Amino acid sequence: METELRTGVFICHCGINISGVLDIEDLCEYARTLPGVVTVQANLFTCAETGTSEIKAAVKEHDLNRVVVAACTPRTHEPIFRASCQEAGINPYFFEMVNIREHCSWVHRHDKEGAQAKARDLIRMGVAKALFLEPLETFRSKVEPKALVIGAGIAGMTSALAIANQGFEVILLEKEVEMGGLLRHLHKVAPSDMTAAELIGEKIAAIEKDKRIQCFTSAALEEVTGYVGNYAVRFSCGDESYSDKVGVIIVATGGASLKPVDLYNYDGEHVITQSELEIKLKDGNIGAKSIVMVQCVGARIPERNYCSRICCMVGIKNSLHIKEIVKDAKIFVLFRDIQAYGVENEALFFKAKEAGVRFIRYSLESPPVVEDGKVKIYHAGMGKEISLPADLVVLSTPIVAHDDAESISRILKVPIDEHKFFLEAHAKLSPLDFATSGIYLCGNAHYPATVREATYQALGAASRASIVLSHDTVERVGTVAAVKEELCSSCFACVKVCPYQVPHMNERGKAEIEPMQCQGCGICVAECPAEAIKFAYVSDEQITAACEALYAA
Amino acid sequence: MIVAERKPMEEILAEIEDFQKILVLGCKGCTTVCCSGGPKEVETLSTLIRMDRKQKGKEVETLEASTELQCEPESVKPMLENLANQYDVVLSMACGAGVQTVAKLFPDQRVFPALNTNFTGMAEEHGVWTEACLACGDCILGKTAGICPVTRCAKGLLNGACGGASEGKCEVSKDRPCAWQEIYHGLKRLNLLHYLKEKPQVKAWPIHPGKVVREDLRQEKAT
Amino acid sequence: MNNFEPLIAVFSCHYCSYAAADLAGSSRIQYPPNTRIIKVPCTGRISVNHILRALECGADGVYVAGCLEGTCHFVSGNFKAKQRVQSAKSLLGEINIEPERVQMYFMSAAEGSKFANVAKEMTETIKELGPSPLKGTNTQ
Repeated sequence: METELRTGVFICHCGINISGVLDIEDLCEYARTLPGVVTVQANLFTCAETGTSEIKAAVKEHDLNRVVVAACTPRTHEPIFRASCQEAGINPYFFEMVNIREHCSWVHRHDKEGAQAKARDLIRMGVAKALFLEPLETFRSKVEPKALVIGAGIAGMTSALAIANQGFEVILLEKEVEMGGLLRHLHKVAPSDMTAAELIGEKIAAIEKDKRIQCFTSAALEEVTGYVGNYAVRFSCGDESYSDKVGVIIVATGGASLKPVDLYNYDGEHVITQSELEIKLKDGNIGAKSIVMVQCVGARIPERNYCSRICCMVGIKNSLHIKEIVKDAKIFVLFRDIQAYGVENEALFFKAKEAGVRFIRYSLESPPVVEDGKVKIYHAGMGKEISLPADLVVLSTPIVAHDDAESISRILKVPIDEHKFFLEAHAKLSPLDFATSGIYLCGNAHYPATVREATYQALGAASRASIVLSHDTVERVGTVAAVKEELCSSCFACVKVCPYQVPHMNERGKAEIEPMQCQGCGICVAECPAEAIKFAYVSDEQITAACEALYAA
Repeated sequence: MIVAERKPMEEILAEIEDFQKILVLGCKGCTTVCCSGGPKEVETLSTLIRMDRKQKGKEVETLEASTELQCEPESVKPMLENLANQYDVVLSMACGAGVQTVAKLFPDQRVFPALNTNFTGMAEEHGVWTEACLACGDCILGKTAGICPVTRCAKGLLNGACGGASEGKCEVSKDRPCAWQEIYHGLKRLNLLHYLKEKPQVKAWPIHPGKVVREDLRQEKAT
Repeated sequence: MNNFEPLIAVFSCHYCSYAAADLAGSSRIQYPPNTRIIKVPCTGRISVNHILRALECGADGVYVAGCLEGTCHFVSGNFKAKQRVQSAKSLLGEINIEPERVQMYFMSAAEGSKFANVAKEMTETIKELGPSPLKGTNTQ
């Protein structure tokens, strides 16, 4: 039954990049002595057309079923050689690459003897490992050309419209009775002079007109199962329950502004929040002349150590808006640091200063004290405590995650951070993706964002999602873990250690890993106490073979 | 499940010092689940034994196997019979019941335990287990809000707190919550505080070693 | 034993330390040729048994090189690796083999020079410790 393993080894000169340091002839001679090797060839450039043709010809001529290339790094060149294998008619995963350039000739130029010995060892290890390579299959699954967008604030609405404009259907869920999110309560949006009502009004009208978008208000997400391209979702809207299938999900659940209970004598009347001030601004009735704003209320403190980023601009913007209504208003802004990044924001900050808004720095050790009709603050420049008259005190509180962030993260099986903001897959490489393919995030759900940032992110997330939606199928190469059910002890170790919460217990009480969801890290494979999880891509046998070939007696 | 921990290597190595062919015998039951004696741990222990011998320049052969359930003769007997003559000693990575099953089935075979069996416990999180059941044979958990005073009260009191706890912690150890205080809060949550007023039942403590006989399950012997 | 050249197995993750080794290469940063990389998708793939096996098979030292803490491509794989390296160290201690023969390092894909420095450092460490005691009697 066992087919004879026939390995071909191809050793690349890489011009003089490798052969300038290593003796290729010696390596070829050595490779010929290794178990399973039936042919060894040296190429000037294995990756060039001539090199890959030689591989293909050798596969035919020597009936090879394993190919080892000793050349440069697999991180750039593996796909080329895998393709050659496939073209030659053998599974592309019957290929192993040995790095004798980046890891050898380039870094041991002054120790040719040591480099030569290392190259021999690396080739021996690669050939040994090749004997245990396994063919991998590609999983394919149909894409449901529909998106679910959770949250109809500015981020969610923007995403939904962007996806619909590309011709895909969208289900838009909003937990409140109407769309618009935080912007519903705001006056004007910095740094433009547009009113929030105008901004969301336009979006809401566009959504209501668009037949591809189904919007559900007073809705709640209840269950999500499946994987990229094929999520089954269940949600409720009022008393009705709905089920549907979508290919992608966008999390645009937003945030809330912190209610400063028990902070600075907050009473909602004389001591109010910026959000409450926005309502007064909308009405055009401030009812106060001496106004003190306190920044960083409940933010950048040990229990909530992050900067909410947008509150400085909110304070600056609202100071200017107060000045528009009450020309002779006296406004003091008590701050710890000012966050006014970017051209327009900085210009606005200067404009506020020019308009007579006074900025006084305070430190966490000596915070302002709000008393009846005045605010006491230690002024570092004057070196003493001063008292500021205040008919109205406005507290700038941070954006915090919604109470339901945790339950949504559980339903979607995506991570949240210590402050319950959703956590992207990678801050730089995939800032809008979750590690789970097919789920994306944008807006305040991720971190406090300005309208402009939320819009960027929403458009970005919609683009990311459209990549999936615009294909008929999604493919997943079988570089995934799989449970050998007969060996599973049902100990839940895999369920507990998987960073993506992919393994689950099936109806037979055994662990099961959905290949379309598995990210292929191998953490569960190494953790399983029953050695019941198979990882054909990098199997225990392969690692062991490489270890055993480390040392040639 | 039964929770066990590997013995210190020094002790294991001393036990098997005089043997050359060692069968490291795991169990795919409880000790796999508590990560102390499953196939993976069998591999680790075997490797360590080989490394130790190699270091000392002494020969050794390790044979790795795991029974489905080492406390079940049907699982142990055929496996060991299959491997007969391939080993001098069995190093069992099962609980005490597994070790004894091997010893009982093969009375002439030297069997050593590689694990210390700690308790019947519950998993708190991956890698943390707590003792939960002392197998007293007369369960009263229904009356104690699902918290076992026999196991979790340091004094095993059945009729309420001893009075020695402070700030909810047992006087025996500050890391240990007072079981009776937990029972009180549990019952309060369930609106069952009146249970505490009931006279505790006299407990039918078991006589060791215990034995459970189910006549309805036993194979009838042909007479 | 003056000329002892240690053999060091390195378990490198695809996303960070393997890439760092590539960068050391393309930057032509020179380091001792004692390391032999075994590539894995994530250091979380490496179990205690792999580390022990490498030592048993003749490595004088083994290190696992993963992503920087908090930036693992697979979220928590490098933390699992760190735990397992720790566990391998204590097991080695139990059989009187120097735990320093096994180490965990963290580096980003951009740290080619760190990869080279770690290779140097580990080579020095193992040179000081001498050949693996598993190579037994023939080291004299």
